[in-house]
Amino acid sequence: MAEQQEGYQIDLGNLTAFDPQHQFQSIPDKREDLVKECITYATKLIQAVADSLFSLPSTEDASGPIVPLPQPTTKLPREKPLPKPAPPTKWEVFAKKKGIQNRKKDKLVFDEQTSSWKRRYGYDRVNDDNDVPIIEAKMTDEPGVDPFAKRRSEKKQRVEKQEKNRLYNLKEAAKVGALPSHVQLAATSLPITGTQAAPRKVSKDELQNVAGMAATSTASGGKFDKKLAGEKPPKHDKKYRKFLPVVEGSGMGSLEKQQSDKILNKLMAKNSHEIFNVSKAVDMYNVKSDKKRRNQQGKSSAMSSKLKVKKSPYKNAASKGSSKKGSSSKGKSGSSSKGKSK
Amino acid sequence: MRPLDEAETTQVFEKLFKFTSNNLKNIVESPSHEGLDKNPGRYCFRLHKNRVYYVSESLVKRATNIKRENLVALGTNIGKFTKSGKFHLTIQALNLLAANAKHKVWLKPTSEMSFLYGNDVVKGGLGRITDNINAYDGVVVFSMSDVPLGFGIAAKSTQDCRKMDPNGLVVIRQADTGEYLRNQEDL
Repeated sequence: MAEQQEGYQIDLGNLTAFDPQHQFQSIPDKREDLVKECITYATKLIQAVADSLFSLPSTEDASGPIVPLPQPTTKLPREKPLPKPAPPTKWEVFAKKKGIQNRKKDKLVFDEQTSSWKRRYGYDRVNDDNDVPIIEAKMTDEPGVDPFAKRRSEKKQRVEKQEKNRLYNLKEAAKVGALPSHVQLAATSLPITGTQAAPRKVSKDELQNVAGMAATSTASGGKFDKKLAGEKPPKHDKKYRKFLPVVEGSGMGSLEKQQSDKILNKLMAKNSHEIFNVSKAVDMYNVKSDKKRRNQQGKSSAMSSKLKVKKSPYKNAASKGSSKKGSSSKGKSGSSSKGKSK
Repeated sequence: MRPLDEAETTQVFEKLFKFTSNNLKNIVESPSHEGLDKNPGRYCFRLHKNRVYYVSESLVKRATNIKRENLVALGTNIGKFTKSGKFHLTIQALNLLAANAKHKVWLKPTSEMSFLYGNDVVKGGLGRITDNINAYDGVVVFSMSDVPLGFGIAAKSTQDCRKMDPNGLVVIRQADTGEYLRNQEDL
């Protein structure tokens, strides 16, 4: 309500009054004096605001008269910059090219089958894909293909394609800097320093897990703490002991076999000194080596020194070792060599 | 019915090892041709009501169809766990042990009956004995016709047995086939 009362402009919606004709005669040097002058002059303006306030129609209330303020007249400047024009989406480009006009659609469509008005989309809609009871086979259909499953997969593909397009459109808009505001807010909630990755949203299950861990990390394992309203009881599977499955599934490698093998090997290793009779094996080895040496000496006297094949000592030892293993296995059971290798 | 856990398996294997030593491998890993599969499954150990059974895997699969209260036994019972958690071999393990025994003792026909009544083996009743038995080894007792009669613990090593007087204890009896008659309710 602009009242030309002494040239004041009073904006009751913002509870302000402006004096456009005021001029400082002389600006005082000190700031405090300037402030004092402003205040003395502003009191007159405030008096004008109060006068016009009291002249408005008021309603009585328990706490006093209530006055509804009129709409503000002063135009305040924009808080944020003007939004940039968004680049046209894929569909918009296509529609423009083809000259497709956007037609307004009704929410309700008349359904011939049930002779009723059904929604165009949503619950109980016209032409719902899931409702068809029979799909007739066409000549182009392959045998063994489920048409219902095919329809479902086609719909899924369409939905995925649409999602892809939506993301593409958003990316294009982001390039220009014209993201819609809610997307912009989500994207800019990034930390100023540190990683650029968005903070991972903790899921409900994770939070519950962490809360449970925190609750049980007291001296008595969280058993006697008072529970808050709505806090679930601590989750602990009753199984304090873990057992192997009774029947081995058809998966790779059975745990039970591994366990029994492990124990078996440990046992064998612990008692391998009993399994393998070392002294007996050593005696056998010595006997064999003596015999071999005697044979060799006999042979080498017959052969010339040039033709004599240089037999490395390691080669003999290896053959003797294998023969020793063979002989000792005859003396004891078959897996004695295994016990020795442990 | 459940498989044995690690501690229980170690106990069972140790007891079996006393009698079979290396041949324990044969027991644990023997292929079983019981099932319908072409591939032979293996034998495994299962615990049911504190008794340990040696049973083929195909049989176990089928036994899972029976309610726990209704299942009496499966496969071969080889032993049981006592209330304090110790494992004892029972006489039903005799077949398994006899096939894979390391140390054997043959009894004279005169002392067979004494053994089957539950007495220990004295030197006078000893027919044959394998070499290299150490004291407190597991020993399977046979009759002269190679019929397994039971098993026990060797009281002395083979060398000591030779020097002993004829009334000395050779084998401390742990189980014998006479138990099938004496302890019918327990088995």
